[in-house]
Amino acid sequence: MGVEKKEEILKKLTEAVIDGDEGKSKEGAQEALDNGIKPYEAVINGLAAGMKTVGDRYECKEYFLPDLLLSADAMYAGLNILTPHIKKSDSKSKGKVVLGVVEGDVHDIGKNIVKIMLTASGYEVVDLGRDVPTDKFIDNAEKEGAQVVAMSTLMTPTLMSMKAVEDKLKDTGMKDKVKTIVGGGPVSEDWRAKMGSDAYGRDALEAIDKVKLLMGMITTAVDTMKEELKEEEKKEEKKEQ
Amino acid sequence: MVSHIPAPDEVEIVFQPYGARKKFPAGINLWEAAKALGVDISSLCAGKGTCGKCKVKLTKGLEGLSPPGQRELKHISEDEMKVNIRLACQAKVMKSAIVFVPERSRVGKQRLQTEGMEIAVEPNPLVKKIFVKVTPPTLHDMRADEDRLLEALKETHGLSNIKVDFEVVRTLPIVLRKGNWEVTVVLWKDEIRGVEPGNTTERCFGFASDIGTTKLAGFLMDLNTGKVISLAARMNPQIPLGEDVMSRITHAMMNGWEAAVELQKAVIGGLNEIIDECCEKAKVKVEEIYELNFVGNTAMQLLFLGVWPQYAALAPYPAVVRRGMDVHANKLGLKSHPNANTHFLPVIGGFVGADNVAVVLASNMLEADDMTLAIDIGTNTEIDLGNKNGILSDSCASGPAFEGMEVRFGMRASTGAIERISIDPDSLDIFYRTIGDEKPVGICGSALVDAPAEMFKSGIINTKGAFVPEFEKRTKRIRKGPQGWEYVVAWKDETNTDTDITVTQADVRELQKAKAAMHTGAEILMRRMNVKEDDIAHLVIAGAFGNYVDPENARILGMYPEIAMDRIKFVGNIAGTGSRMSLISEEMREYAEKISKTVKYLELAVDPDFQDEYMKSFYFPHANLDRYPVTTKLLQKLGRLP
Repeated sequence: MGVEKKEEILKKLTEAVIDGDEGKSKEGAQEALDNGIKPYEAVINGLAAGMKTVGDRYECKEYFLPDLLLSADAMYAGLNILTPHIKKSDSKSKGKVVLGVVEGDVHDIGKNIVKIMLTASGYEVVDLGRDVPTDKFIDNAEKEGAQVVAMSTLMTPTLMSMKAVEDKLKDTGMKDKVKTIVGGGPVSEDWRAKMGSDAYGRDALEAIDKVKLLMGMITTAVDTMKEELKEEEKKEEKKEQ
Repeated sequence: MVSHIPAPDEVEIVFQPYGARKKFPAGINLWEAAKALGVDISSLCAGKGTCGKCKVKLTKGLEGLSPPGQRELKHISEDEMKVNIRLACQAKVMKSAIVFVPERSRVGKQRLQTEGMEIAVEPNPLVKKIFVKVTPPTLHDMRADEDRLLEALKETHGLSNIKVDFEVVRTLPIVLRKGNWEVTVVLWKDEIRGVEPGNTTERCFGFASDIGTTKLAGFLMDLNTGKVISLAARMNPQIPLGEDVMSRITHAMMNGWEAAVELQKAVIGGLNEIIDECCEKAKVKVEEIYELNFVGNTAMQLLFLGVWPQYAALAPYPAVVRRGMDVHANKLGLKSHPNANTHFLPVIGGFVGADNVAVVLASNMLEADDMTLAIDIGTNTEIDLGNKNGILSDSCASGPAFEGMEVRFGMRASTGAIERISIDPDSLDIFYRTIGDEKPVGICGSALVDAPAEMFKSGIINTKGAFVPEFEKRTKRIRKGPQGWEYVVAWKDETNTDTDITVTQADVRELQKAKAAMHTGAEILMRRMNVKEDDIAHLVIAGAFGNYVDPENARILGMYPEIAMDRIKFVGNIAGTGSRMSLISEEMREYAEKISKTVKYLELAVDPDFQDEYMKSFYFPHANLDRYPVTTKLLQKLGRLP
């Protein structure tokens, strides 16, 4: 397969995500497989690249929630086709986040957006849903071996539930093993400090940056993956020579 | 001239253009100082540094102010910094200063719309005054004063099994003799709550109120005629303790009972001011008020009654007490006759309160064969759909965007606010009107509906709410500012603010969120009840804001489902109407109880269709255009749709 063809397919995937075109994304993903493009590469340089543009446009308000969710649908449509073909060695986790809306709150759109952006940034996400009891956060963080616990709420009174998770993490000694990040309407830097959380994300995009820092990474997972892909390609080129 | 050199720990602050000046202890912030001097600087957040509305300009003494913090820098642009603009509530004064309050930061005359429609209800109040002549005691008739009174009531009015409030007994011997054994009995249900000397049956008063999260409205009523005799309104004094109900409840949760009491005292204090004002206007003594009736959302019910509010604010959001509550007014500290009864109408659930019961009551929708959709627009919007077979309701946080919050040049409806906007689709020029015909200082709710609607109609923004960059070439009004695309509504030199007044991309996004929430609330109810637009005979838009909105523009935005214009009715503060009706009529009060048991509540956030429908509702007017045939045709004619 020519480089041009490969570029064309990757571009198709990127565009599909930017335009929120589910059908095009499925098509592109299938073409990637049919043409022998590494599924891992199609994800990183195709779908995730598109999501990066979407994030940028969202940040300057050019894109809004519905656009973001349509793009996410397109991304997931491609992912569903590509993921089963990714070799285990390729998909080594770059970091795992346990995510949920805290107990007493059922508003989860914000959490869903963070999930999309985390996924697009190359992190593994364990979504606990909404109205999540304190213990469920703790148990899953431990069971999954997550590096980060991410909590969201839209309501002010449920800030108390966030604090409950923080307290429990401290009491059980888990706080040494996982970092926490909080976000949502009533949350602020002041609140983060009060609750003793490690980071506060003003919006989904800032959350991604902060998660990166919490993971002790210099770049986001997806950028790391991109670098690795380039390295590999170079190696392969050398081999061929 | 002796110069006044303030002591080192004192500063003198002068507010221009008022010329108000005073010495204050160093460290006071400008907002507090202005308040102390009676200089009204606008603020929506009550000095918390979050609304960015209290901008002032330092004429002298900028260097003596505390440096701007993170919170302040969020609201002050670099340009503003250059001309010495600061947020009054954040800037602490260390050295004497002269401050200019720019026009847009002045409060001006507020338009607090309080009246709702008047509905004829036969007055049958729970409080009744009865004039009675009592036989004086003699050595041959030594019956007790109380027995004497009760027997007279039985003989002349056939009333038996009447109870007497203890407080009444204490002064009864004085009153009977002062009135020379001719007295007026104040009966609440079957209980004597007061006895007045002489015949005072002509003067029988009650007070009805709507306790809003942001605004309190009160009406002094003549219980004999059922008519309003005076009215007044205030901002809810709880606002400094939390802008929305959730932050107020959190304030209580974090600080305990004392804070709950503080919240209760704040709202009671505001209501007492309203009662005083109403009584003064009507030349009525507060002691002549024998019953008070209140409506409000469930959080307001709890905070007003001093009930612990925490658990109503946590999923699954149960109310604490559903039924209507009767409490002695003196237990709550309300200004009235000390034995007056205070009634708070029943609530429906944690997020749909007595104010919604009042809306259902006043709209009469539970008695009708036809379907009614009622939307009560406020900081929280409550929506009801149904007819005599039942009503389903939900509530959504429409947010404060249409109240001017979260919008760059948003402001309340007061003098100088742009209240109407229209855009010429060819020249893209704008026409606007301000309240009081003053030079514009900001944009208020009604024009915040016009702005995106007109921009959409003329193609400046597309159906997704995004600015269309190509339009930049057609007019200077469209430009890319430091915070993204914006449309200039009024140029600097035509305003009273020293800056261009604009509508930004971010503003459009905020308004989109609000309108999408409202529409989703209505749409999900329609879906769950299997009701189509054509089935809805009446669309009732309630809330003060609704009254000033251009219904066609609201429909073009898709704030509500596409229902024929002649079926839309704007009713103003109908919750207040319901409060008045249930003050003057015992039947209405019983009916409220029935409503609260009948209306079912739907929790929007957990509805399986919620997220999908919410996202579709972001579009102007909606992602699914076949539900908007009329609007679609209009947009096709304008060339906005193929």
